[in-house]
Amino acid sequence: MPTSTPLFETPQPCPSDVPASRLDVSGALLGLLRDTTTAPRPDPQLEALTLAVAADLPVLLWGEPGIGKTAALTQLADTLDLPLTTVIASVHEPSDFSGLPVIGDDPAGNGIPMAPPDWAVRLVRAGRGLLFLDELSTAPPAVQAALLRLVLERRVGSLRLPPDVRIVAAANPRSSAADGWELSPPLANRFVHLQWVHDVDVVVRGLGGVWPRATLPTLDPGRLTEAVAFARRAVCGLLGARPALVHRLPSGETQRGGAWPSPRSWDMTLSLIAFATAAGASRDVLSMLVRGTVGDGPGLELLAYVDRMDLPDPEDLLADPGGARLPERGDLRQAALDGVVAAVRARPAKDRWDAAWALLARAAETGAPDLLVVPATTLASLRRDDWDVPESIEGIAGAVSVSRRADRANVRALSSAPADR
Amino acid sequence: MNSPSPGGRPAAPREVPGNTTGTSDAPNTPDVPDTPGTLDTDKLFAARLQAARARPYLATALFALHVVESRGVPTMAVDAHWRCYVSPAFVDRTPVEELAGVWVHEVSHLLRDHHGRSDRYAHLHELSGPAERLRMNIAADCEINDDIFGDGLVKPEGAVVPGSLGLRDGELMEDYLRQFRLGPHTAHLAWLECGSGADGLPRPWDLGPDGAYGLSRQERDAVRFRVAQGIVGRPGSAPAGWRRWAEEAFHPPQPWRQLLGAAVRAAASAPGTGEDYVYGRPARRSAAVPGAVLPSLRRRPTRVVVVIDTSGSVSDAELGSALLEVAAISRAVGGRGDLVGVLPCDAAAGRVRPLCGGAEGVELLGGGGTDLRTGFTRALETRPRPDVVVVLTDGQTPWPSRRPSCRTVVGLFGRHHGRSSYDESDPEYRPGGPPAWARVVTIG
Repeated sequence: MPTSTPLFETPQPCPSDVPASRLDVSGALLGLLRDTTTAPRPDPQLEALTLAVAADLPVLLWGEPGIGKTAALTQLADTLDLPLTTVIASVHEPSDFSGLPVIGDDPAGNGIPMAPPDWAVRLVRAGRGLLFLDELSTAPPAVQAALLRLVLERRVGSLRLPPDVRIVAAANPRSSAADGWELSPPLANRFVHLQWVHDVDVVVRGLGGVWPRATLPTLDPGRLTEAVAFARRAVCGLLGARPALVHRLPSGETQRGGAWPSPRSWDMTLSLIAFATAAGASRDVLSMLVRGTVGDGPGLELLAYVDRMDLPDPEDLLADPGGARLPERGDLRQAALDGVVAAVRARPAKDRWDAAWALLARAAETGAPDLLVVPATTLASLRRDDWDVPESIEGIAGAVSVSRRADRANVRALSSAPADR
Repeated sequence: MNSPSPGGRPAAPREVPGNTTGTSDAPNTPDVPDTPGTLDTDKLFAARLQAARARPYLATALFALHVVESRGVPTMAVDAHWRCYVSPAFVDRTPVEELAGVWVHEVSHLLRDHHGRSDRYAHLHELSGPAERLRMNIAADCEINDDIFGDGLVKPEGAVVPGSLGLRDGELMEDYLRQFRLGPHTAHLAWLECGSGADGLPRPWDLGPDGAYGLSRQERDAVRFRVAQGIVGRPGSAPAGWRRWAEEAFHPPQPWRQLLGAAVRAAASAPGTGEDYVYGRPARRSAAVPGAVLPSLRRRPTRVVVVIDTSGSVSDAELGSALLEVAAISRAVGGRGDLVGVLPCDAAAGRVRPLCGGAEGVELLGGGGTDLRTGFTRALETRPRPDVVVVLTDGQTPWPSRRPSCRTVVGLFGRHHGRSSYDESDPEYRPGGPPAWARVVTIG
């Protein structure tokens, strides 16, 4: 029998003798529109967010309005099974975060309690939750100052938020905040800054009905001790070599409101490295976290230092040159060989010198010869008069000929028409 | 670290045995007969060594490249994952010293992120198709080739330089892209092929993001960072183009308009200037919360005085554009036109005039030497006092010895590219920069 809406078949069972009300039909259309599926897809920025939240560090998401920061938070809250509380910072007054002073019967005798707002009371009652402070950068300075205490000490008025409450904030970048205040350096230093960007492919697929679902990192209980040791070695090793990086206030206009290195943010970095290691997160995720905590320059230096830590120990290589496994990337391989030569220079002995030559010969078999030239030249210069040249040196003959060839080419290059620059 | 994955590798390109790991001693390596058409790795690596000797600061990047033999490439090409595809025939017919130049050229594409910049440019201008990508490759080559050769590196045959297209040296790829079109005069460049690493367009021979030996995004950043650190640490040997790249590689210059806007806004809206919470008046919510004392938000309009350096060293065009921006910003922060004052200043300061009718009505007189100290004094004498002083200058002036009693934003006209007259007589001399108490935005 013909219905009143021949073009549109309602999926919901609806008694055919009662004409569907207009709202029901529009409800059905809305239901269809919301009927989307998800597909697994790796998402480094969501992984980084999860790790920072797991490490109980306050996170600040920087992103243009409308790119799905709240959607990401909702997914995160679902995955962690935490109730989500959203507070728009810019529409609140400072007393909403520092507590509202309420005058009682005898203010001089009993004092004036600072009453917390209802959302804080509900959070404390629930005992756990994800607190999302939206629009942080458009909050007036006085509100930002009150938020400082909430973010750092987790106190709202006289209430203390339970340890299972996690805090995430979001802000619009300075370029798009029409009337924004920027974060003061002390507030900026307390956050892990994550840049939230949208991916065109993800948006197009999502609007087509398939949103990504990231599998979020989980911590491996068996790796916790190792992760802490690794994190301590990385941060202490870098700061021992570069003490200037321990504390550096942002100076340039471009770096205002962003991450900068201080003992506090290095401490946060330490936790983040440990969490990322225990979760087996990729270097890309670690890079986002570290650069978001101490800033780009110090973060990149730390990552470069961690790369160096991955190089094989020179003493191990010298102990067993035959079974040595050298890095495959050329620049890292040369760095490992340089490290070996430096170790021989530091403690010269005939057997170590021989082992280094054997190692170079092995590197010549398995990799590009041009990488060997500098280590081999340095190693040759370490020779003592009573040391005989080992047989393994023939293994690097290829490197020597490559070096000579480069020399000849260099002579030709320099003697050809002088530079046309 | 990427592990070899022989199964997922396309058949066409072949891993060069010389550059793979020693995890399994590949027995097939020595058995390959030295037939013509086999990649002469010794020659290729000799060229890389020469390139690394001629440009020590690029050694890390050169050695990080992974060589893949490929018959699909006409010469040498790179992809975004730092693989270098090499044609054996090209290596055979090219002298070592020219190959060294090609090495440096290809690695420059990657260091300068030409594939990412091409993608962003294409996205921004909605360009598509191989012809546009060829144009990007040509523009990227122009950016590289104008200063990497010479001094121990031979320019390879057929390298594109800006001059051959009638363009000026020393500009960026994006600038070149705006200045030329493909046509008969570029027909001889149609074979140009530096791979997807130069223009972002995937090539048939690319191994793709999942192929073996690619560098991850973080590894690429780490290599670029180490190269930049090497150049910044020992700037003596690197040409100016590379030094500029190194300084900007991880701190790209930001749009000065937005920075200036943010600085003026922040100065004008910071506590104590325009707006803050006060307990002097009851808050609008007081009625709803009986017994509670709440502060209320009060705002008074911000007064801005713009001091303009009108000495001879600042060009009219620079001043005009910056002045327009400042006027727009200060109106946006709530200052009405009559709350914005303009004060032209060279060695002597004039009078603060209101900016009522827009920036067109402002007369900028001057042209002599500069002493902005009188400008500061005059600006602070204005009644009512300004909350923010914005100074537009080229920085070649004495500054007040003490912090003025209001917030200060300095818009500094950029003086790089050796335009400063100070460089000629005494290259070591640098005029004292703006003092630490001012917020400084470099303009232009």
